[in-house]
Amino acid sequence: MKAFLKSKEMSVAVIILLLCIILAFISPVFLTADNLLDVVKGNAVLGILAIGMTLVIITGGIDVSVAAVTSAVCVVLGKTMMFLPDSPLTIVLIFVIAPLFGVLLGSINGILVAKIQIPAIVVTLGMMSIINGLVLYITNGQYLNSSNFPTVFLKFSNFSVFGISIIIWLFIITAALTWYILKYTLIGREVMAIGGNKESAVRVGINYSKVQIFVFSYMGFLAGIAAIAQTSYTKAVDPNGMLGLELMVIAAVVLGGANIMGGRGTIFGTILGVLLLGIIQNGLILAKIDTFWQKVFTGAIILIAVSYDHIQYKRSQKQLSKIEVEA
Amino acid sequence: MKKIAGLFVALLLVFGLLAGCVSQQGAGGNSNSSKDGKDEAGGGDGKIKIAVVPKLIGIPYFNASEKGAIQAGKDLGVEVIYTGPTEADAAQQVKVIEDLISQDVDVIAVAPNDAAALSPVLQKAKDKGIIVMDWDTPADQSLVELSVHQIDDEAYGRHIAKSLVEQMGTEEGEIAILTGGLAAANLNSWIDAAKKELEENYPGIKLVTDKIATDEKQQVAYQKTLDLIKSYPNLKGIMAFSTPAPLGAAQAIQEKGLQDKIAVVGTALPKDSAPFLEDGSLDVAILWEPDKLGYLTVALAKDLVDGKKPENGQNIDGVGEVEVWEDGKTVIMGPPTDFTKDNAKDYDF
Repeated sequence: MKAFLKSKEMSVAVIILLLCIILAFISPVFLTADNLLDVVKGNAVLGILAIGMTLVIITGGIDVSVAAVTSAVCVVLGKTMMFLPDSPLTIVLIFVIAPLFGVLLGSINGILVAKIQIPAIVVTLGMMSIINGLVLYITNGQYLNSSNFPTVFLKFSNFSVFGISIIIWLFIITAALTWYILKYTLIGREVMAIGGNKESAVRVGINYSKVQIFVFSYMGFLAGIAAIAQTSYTKAVDPNGMLGLELMVIAAVVLGGANIMGGRGTIFGTILGVLLLGIIQNGLILAKIDTFWQKVFTGAIILIAVSYDHIQYKRSQKQLSKIEVEA
Repeated sequence: MKKIAGLFVALLLVFGLLAGCVSQQGAGGNSNSSKDGKDEAGGGDGKIKIAVVPKLIGIPYFNASEKGAIQAGKDLGVEVIYTGPTEADAAQQVKVIEDLISQDVDVIAVAPNDAAALSPVLQKAKDKGIIVMDWDTPADQSLVELSVHQIDDEAYGRHIAKSLVEQMGTEEGEIAILTGGLAAANLNSWIDAAKKELEENYPGIKLVTDKIATDEKQQVAYQKTLDLIKSYPNLKGIMAFSTPAPLGAAQAIQEKGLQDKIAVVGTALPKDSAPFLEDGSLDVAILWEPDKLGYLTVALAKDLVDGKKPENGQNIDGVGEVEVWEDGKTVIMGPPTDFTKDNAKDYDF
């Protein structure tokens, strides 16, 4: 319990709690189930991508092509759905096509990073440019709207279990699955080991390139899932709709306590980071704050959260080294 | 190993560059090939060359204006080159115009991403004897021969405000405004005009908060509208500026089943908004017809080459009567078009 209170997630959780209390006082609507579900639903795509990004960042990599990959999968989904029949089989097919296509793109990133050892930022930047160009070329920027989709997909988008939208379930399942992988599977432990100390991990026989290919492919896999969530959420495909989302994804992961240089990061922290971003966005309108001040507030809250987290971290590091010296 | 890595990075970058070129030529090339088949039989020498440069290629709006421009080229027997950057980026646009100057075109009509950034290259074009004009968005007025506007900004903003009040069915109540970005000059001038109209003629209408930015994205507009509905339960109307914003707002209204309670009016393309117009979650989409704007631009460009200046009330075939301001430079295409559920299906953009 004590360890939890001191953990890096705690600082973000405290900020979220404070924010929630303030917002609940300002706006009676904030603490309604309806509103909170809207917040999570609206940020599910961001959340799914951020979870994948956490793995990439733990191993010291970065993937700026996530938004582009997700758009690409969205476009592929949109185009194939125009030909798919109006039967439940379509939904199954979607869940096969989207992740597969995502993994394909992700693994290209992974192989380039691991085998040819190009820095991840260069590979994924190149990938982002290529994909964005191709998407624009193929779609000509044309929107696809709900009239292009089979009704079964629209039903799927509006589907909810226990009053919780399928989109939120996708996010929850993704988070649980990734947490399980990190905690209980060999490859997950290898990811954590590399994050902890790459040199030692390689020396004990962990295959670094294998792990890298895994994290990038897994990122692609989640981009595929995110594309399903995105398409269900907007019930449309906008080829330009995700531009710049990669920055939000990275911001959410870093807010959640991950170290951008690698090593630190947890699924729980990332979820908190996503929630913080979502609640800020939601709360600013509910609190009736003037548009121009909204940006200032967003920046200030992020800075406070990150500094608080970092000060905590530095303090704990100081204690650590002291003990070492004494011992 | 390092060498190979370096080589590979270089290759990758080159590839990236090429990819950019391909998509550009792909979209620009369409226009040429469609012409080649029909008109190029005579060799194309001596034909008037008109270059139309949009802010970017590959979005529905500029695709529609491309269609109009190409059609005008066919009808009037001039060669139309429709090409632009793949992103709304001023530096890329400068490069495109440089290329056009070396192709020795007769007219360059540009929709600038940043008017100031284009001034030097437009000056260069003018020095070479190329006629410079702008369309869609004004460029440096000291350089252009003609400035083709789709709409009178003031009248457009006021028309949107009026339509909203009409759709609300009451002259009293709370409304909100969504916009693409806080810094977009054209959106701001429409919003200011709309606000003026409300202040002057509908004192009962109350704006609940300042305009809300939606980053030109449907999902952001959707989320913000959901938040708005919750924080202002008495909201009666939403005005949404920029093409994705009305779609997002309408989606929120549709999902919450508030079609009869909240009126939404905005600047959207008819094809995209059809499913929302259908059930009344979007009441009216108000825009001009971008294909006509492309057509008008080419038609006026040809007249300029022939030494003819447009006149107020002049009738342009395929477009209609245009308005010319007293400076003799500013051309207004005409009043905006209202797209409703009855006529939205008739348009192909």
